[in-house]
Amino acid sequence: MLDQPLQPFSFPSINFFSYLPGDLSAGLFTTWLLYAVFAFWAIYTLIAIYHWLKYSHASWIAFPAIAMHLFVSFALMSYTLSSNAPFATPYLS
Amino acid sequence: MKEFELEPGEHVVKQVRKHWFLFVAELLPYAILAVIPFALPKFLVFAPPLAPYAAFFDYQLSTNALAHALLGVWLLMIWTVAWGAFTRYFLNAWVLTNKRITTIKQRRFFYREVSSLLLPRVQDVTTNVAGILSSLLGIGDIKVQSAGAEIEFMMRGIPRPEQMRDIILKYVSGEPKTTNI
Repeated sequence: MLDQPLQPFSFPSINFFSYLPGDLSAGLFTTWLLYAVFAFWAIYTLIAIYHWLKYSHASWIAFPAIAMHLFVSFALMSYTLSSNAPFATPYLS
Repeated sequence: MKEFELEPGEHVVKQVRKHWFLFVAELLPYAILAVIPFALPKFLVFAPPLAPYAAFFDYQLSTNALAHALLGVWLLMIWTVAWGAFTRYFLNAWVLTNKRITTIKQRRFFYREVSSLLLPRVQDVTTNVAGILSSLLGIGDIKVQSAGAEIEFMMRGIPRPEQMRDIILKYVSGEPKTTNI
């Protein structure tokens, strides 16, 4: 723990974003990172759900497994976008 | 079963998957990766040049939305890939019917192998339980060899392989009246 009183957090002066090209802001970088991650998540999830529905032989586990994945994923997405997810925050802070 | 149609009079006797312990062990790297962001602030304070960054990864103190967003993205990626591992674990199975053994291998998405071995062609069934942990948890392999010798079925890491071998041998020698399963 830091032995100094808590201060409002400020990003260190030498940071990753200082190395980005001038016309690429931290906000823009974050936005495109989120787009890329959510696109990957959507494609991966669709492919996995396709396999569950086609090959799980109508197992009763298929739908709870898909539902759990969607629930946890949306909780994490909510946390990502707002820093405050009702289901995830108690475990992440 | 959609991948292989059961013949008239054929029924599924037992369906097995890899032992749950092996699946949990497979999840261990994902668990370690998930913990890394929470452990970073504790490690960074020991490296003076990087110590200023420790506060960025201290999610309890940090109000920086970017830190929380990166944490959420990191956990989302790990969760998604781990769930994919569970999907592959579940879709890998061995199915014993009263007429054949079928192995379903889901090596990765869109890469699936399904092969069957008729029980009358089974010539030898070998079980292998190696190691302390495997012996304690009852994890082992079964090798089923056919009369033609060109087909060899290997079931790796299944629970209670001896029980599975006994069931296979019962059905190889003729369908039993009861299996006590």
